[in-house]
Amino acid sequence: MFRFALPFVFFLLILYSPFVFELNADETDGEEFFEKKIRPVLVEHCYECHSSSAKAIKGGLRLDTREAIRSGGESGPGVVPGDLESGSVVSAMKYESVEMPPKGKLSESIIADFEKWVASGAVDPRDAESVSAPLAKSEIDWKSASAFWSFQLPKRVARPSVEMSQWIQRPVDAFILAKLETEGLFPNEAADRRTLLRRAYLDLIGLPPSEQEVQSFVRDESPNAYQDRVDQLLASVRFGERWARVWLDVARYAEDQAHIVGDDKSLFFPNAYLYRDWVVRAFNLDMPYDQFVRLQLAADLISPEDRENWVALGFIGLGPKYYRRNAPDVMAEEWEDRVDTVTRGLLGVTIACARCHDHKYDPFPTEDYYALAGVFAGTEMLNMPLDDSVEAKDGHAKDPEKSMHVIRDQKPRDIKVMIRGNVENEGELVERGFPRVLTGGERVFFKNGSGRLELADAIGSPNNPLTARVIVNRVWGQYFGKPIVGTPSNFGQLGDRPSHPELLDDLSVRFMQNGWSLKWLHREIVLSATYQQSSTIDDVKQERDAANQWLWRANRRRLSVEAWRDSLLVASGAIDYSFAKGSIQASKATDVRRTLYSSISRFQLDPILVLFDFPDPNVHSERRSLTTTPLQKLFAMNSDFMIKQAEQLADRMINLDVSTNNDRIRNAYASIYSRSPEQDELQLGLDFLKEASDEKRQWTKYLQALLASNELLIVD
Amino acid sequence: MEPNNFSRRQMLHSCGAGFGALGWMGAMANHGLANLAAEGSSPIGVPHFPARAKRVVFLFMNGAPSHVDTFDPKPMLAKHEGEQPSGKLYKESKGSGYMASPFRFQQYGESGMVMSELLPNMSRLADDLCVIRSMHTDVPNHEPGLLMMNCGHLQPVRPSLGSWMSYGLGSENQNLPSFVVLSPGRPVVGPQLWSNSFLPGQYQGTSVDTNDLDVDRMVSNIKHPLLGKVEQRQQLDLLQALNRKHMQARENDSIFDEQIRAMELAFQMQSEVREAFDVARESKETRAMYGETPFSNSCLIARRLLESGVRMVQVYYVTDKNKQPWDTHSDNDNQHRKLCADSDRATAALLTDLKQRGMLDDTLVIWGGEFGRTPYSEINKKNDKAKPGRDHHHTGFSMALAGGGIRGGLTYGATDEFGMNAVDDRVHVHDLHATILHLMGLDHERLTYRYSGRDFRLTDVHGRVVKELFL
Repeated sequence: MFRFALPFVFFLLILYSPFVFELNADETDGEEFFEKKIRPVLVEHCYECHSSSAKAIKGGLRLDTREAIRSGGESGPGVVPGDLESGSVVSAMKYESVEMPPKGKLSESIIADFEKWVASGAVDPRDAESVSAPLAKSEIDWKSASAFWSFQLPKRVARPSVEMSQWIQRPVDAFILAKLETEGLFPNEAADRRTLLRRAYLDLIGLPPSEQEVQSFVRDESPNAYQDRVDQLLASVRFGERWARVWLDVARYAEDQAHIVGDDKSLFFPNAYLYRDWVVRAFNLDMPYDQFVRLQLAADLISPEDRENWVALGFIGLGPKYYRRNAPDVMAEEWEDRVDTVTRGLLGVTIACARCHDHKYDPFPTEDYYALAGVFAGTEMLNMPLDDSVEAKDGHAKDPEKSMHVIRDQKPRDIKVMIRGNVENEGELVERGFPRVLTGGERVFFKNGSGRLELADAIGSPNNPLTARVIVNRVWGQYFGKPIVGTPSNFGQLGDRPSHPELLDDLSVRFMQNGWSLKWLHREIVLSATYQQSSTIDDVKQERDAANQWLWRANRRRLSVEAWRDSLLVASGAIDYSFAKGSIQASKATDVRRTLYSSISRFQLDPILVLFDFPDPNVHSERRSLTTTPLQKLFAMNSDFMIKQAEQLADRMINLDVSTNNDRIRNAYASIYSRSPEQDELQLGLDFLKEASDEKRQWTKYLQALLASNELLIVD
Repeated sequence: MEPNNFSRRQMLHSCGAGFGALGWMGAMANHGLANLAAEGSSPIGVPHFPARAKRVVFLFMNGAPSHVDTFDPKPMLAKHEGEQPSGKLYKESKGSGYMASPFRFQQYGESGMVMSELLPNMSRLADDLCVIRSMHTDVPNHEPGLLMMNCGHLQPVRPSLGSWMSYGLGSENQNLPSFVVLSPGRPVVGPQLWSNSFLPGQYQGTSVDTNDLDVDRMVSNIKHPLLGKVEQRQQLDLLQALNRKHMQARENDSIFDEQIRAMELAFQMQSEVREAFDVARESKETRAMYGETPFSNSCLIARRLLESGVRMVQVYYVTDKNKQPWDTHSDNDNQHRKLCADSDRATAALLTDLKQRGMLDDTLVIWGGEFGRTPYSEINKKNDKAKPGRDHHHTGFSMALAGGGIRGGLTYGATDEFGMNAVDDRVHVHDLHATILHLMGLDHERLTYRYSGRDFRLTDVHGRVVKELFL
């Protein structure tokens, strides 16, 4: 036995010392060796008959997890780390016992690799794929797991001391400035008034200011001039329209299904817009965020009397319904959608990863996933009649057009773990409850009905370490083009760490102390000196921090498709602010309500939305990507929508009660850019317009160019 | 990290501020928004290993062609005509049973590949074809079957094969999309089949309705409805002058330059795109060789696009009235006669055309549907009698491949003697995907995208590269 003693000790170390995994460099080499030399061979030559995906597992031997390959099959252990004599795998490869793989002996070099691998301890990183959940469960040390930054409750933080303290306007500035000073940077000067006002308008209400509004702000000498404008914008109904869309990305809002079988529209949501409009109202009324979240999960249980608010349940009730629904594997997919939307959207954690195996990086065992999925297993989607006159059966409206799309409790039930996500491979039953690491390691079970109300309360709670941080981070990201945590829906191990952890903590706590008021949060951010900086790029500072990680300037940003399309409609004068039911087709030149009101299809998104980075509404969107493509420009150059806006504006300009092109150009600049043209701009326009045989055509061309310009598309 | 395993961030850096690779697919901004590196570091524009194929054309027979009438002869069906098949797939019924194919099968080419008389033109190219007779998939329903074949998953919300390929390899021609879908009408499921899903938007398939061959109507926004080239150039010169002036006041932030370049490219692209899609530029002989049906027109456009550098073209065999013509539940034989005549002629023309242009060697051609059809007949539910149709069948079916590093003349795998189940050298759709990616130089296990905290793959946790098919 002596000759095996050393490797055997090494094996024990692997098993019993958690530090080996992190600290031992040989270990990582071992993993690399496994990944390069061992796993590919197993996958290619062995898995067909010896893995969970094999049609019939031969010899009772599976080789696709560490545990399985070690415990082996009918011929004994497959691999005994450090012991070349005992395992069946290598001897089979050498055609000593059985001959594997049967199609032909593997090359000598492959066999040598396997011998080397076994001899050096058979390092096998495949533990997380293991089907043996109990092992993983006992491995989580909840105390240390809860010590991860995002699982700790946020705390108030004392203002850091700074040198340039006169710059500070709101508490957030101190945190930004402290970092800047540590990094040897300093903030930009404040943006000029016109730039600042345009930025604030587009950020707060998603629309540009008019020329008059710019002029009045530029001339306003009151010390409260800016604050007054911000308060007016926060009070505007346009505010809710702008910010609702941010939420709808989170909620993967859509009005139909990705699957359409025949012309069957029975799974569509013809009145989805009711939920959208509820979000607009909630934001305009500054509904406390905790209540906003709670209602979306459990309005029926929170306010059984107040049916008005039940439409909030569309957050779940407008979710995807898949083909062959009610089949167990299909319902398992639907539950994943609900769990994913709730956990990434509201909590910034990726618990859906734990559907098939324990989360590989975060302390979410499989049971955490099924504890949540059970809530949705006991919840059904319901087309609830809009009023008593609507014909219904068992509470379901017969005509979806006369219903709102909500959820309600079914018979409550716990569900079993589906091993590796396979519905036919049942594991143990899991009681419904909240992810353990978010309650300090305590198991909190849901006892009432489906458990939705308890889930809602556990999320909308000041004792939840994530809820406030996640929404504060999302809102911050909208203003600076870059959130404090760069992965707004993943606050786990693989997510980014906050660039300004104290700022995020302090702002989150104060947000809760201020009654979870989103308008308070917006105001704190917009009134900060940080927000009011210019976007000027200083070479020296750029050299130190090219990505502007420390926010020494404002970031220039391309407008979202909503703000851009709305800006075009404002410029052309076509925009329609009237309140109406239903949705519009955003690409249609005659549909001139705000872009928020676009019909959102899981099946086929409106082309303008597709072109300008609107996220796939089939799933929760963490953030929008930002692309610049020639297809966007083809839209600007050739689309019916753009040309119609230009024509409409041309009609207005030509029919103005002024006599010269000079005056008309001034008017156009006011309409489009809320400013006067500079002399050379005026001249370019006059030259372009002078030789026109067809005045309308030439003006349309001119104005389309102005509308398609970078000035309209980008905010400084 | 291996040398060819570029992260997107590195890629962007190596191209300057993110607009070096600007083309049809555009640039991902790496300013402002925390960029993709956190969620999606992965190879782009760099194959994992030398590619055997540079481009792919997937001819999709919507509704599912019958394997026992095309590529997989089953004489036993005649012998046991009308007998009840066994197995859990089949619901017992008095009226129906095995149904023989009326079509003659014989050997073709030097390889002696056996094919049915329904494919007279393709059979002349038997030595270029490789037929997999042992395909299988998970579900015998169109929607999940289509999603599996196109996106590798039974439910929606997964990126399609073409999107993964665009993501992995980028575009060969910056002025054209890398993934084009040609479809004279809308297939069942529809846009999810060419969805980028959680991959960035520029990897979505560009879908084109080929019923109307007028290029300006086929590709949206490709031409100004009123302005000619000269007039539009004047307009653009004005616009770019204004843009440059605007930029100069803003110390040349790259965000502006990117937009200006995209505008310029878009202008140039118009003529190239219109040319690539325009079959009117083909000779009479070529048009005649393909035939002039919606499917054959699509095949011809496909060749033009492939020639111009499009990475993947998917042609759906649908019409404006029928979303799945191959779904021959009744009158299977006559329907297959008609459908095969059209598909065979156009497919063979495409293969011949690619060959003549020296493109077949590095163009992978795939022919097949979402699954196969039953070797037994349908039941007329009214009288419980057999009716001459075939139902959906997913446990064994055939697909044909050609070119792009595929071994011609090879018949791979087998179903049982009745064509019911793939039994030898079984090839699941995941395996086909792994194989296609491999031919394109992509390792299906390394082509991943981090989304929702997980690394997603086209093949999920499955997939075997069927190397036996390679030259």
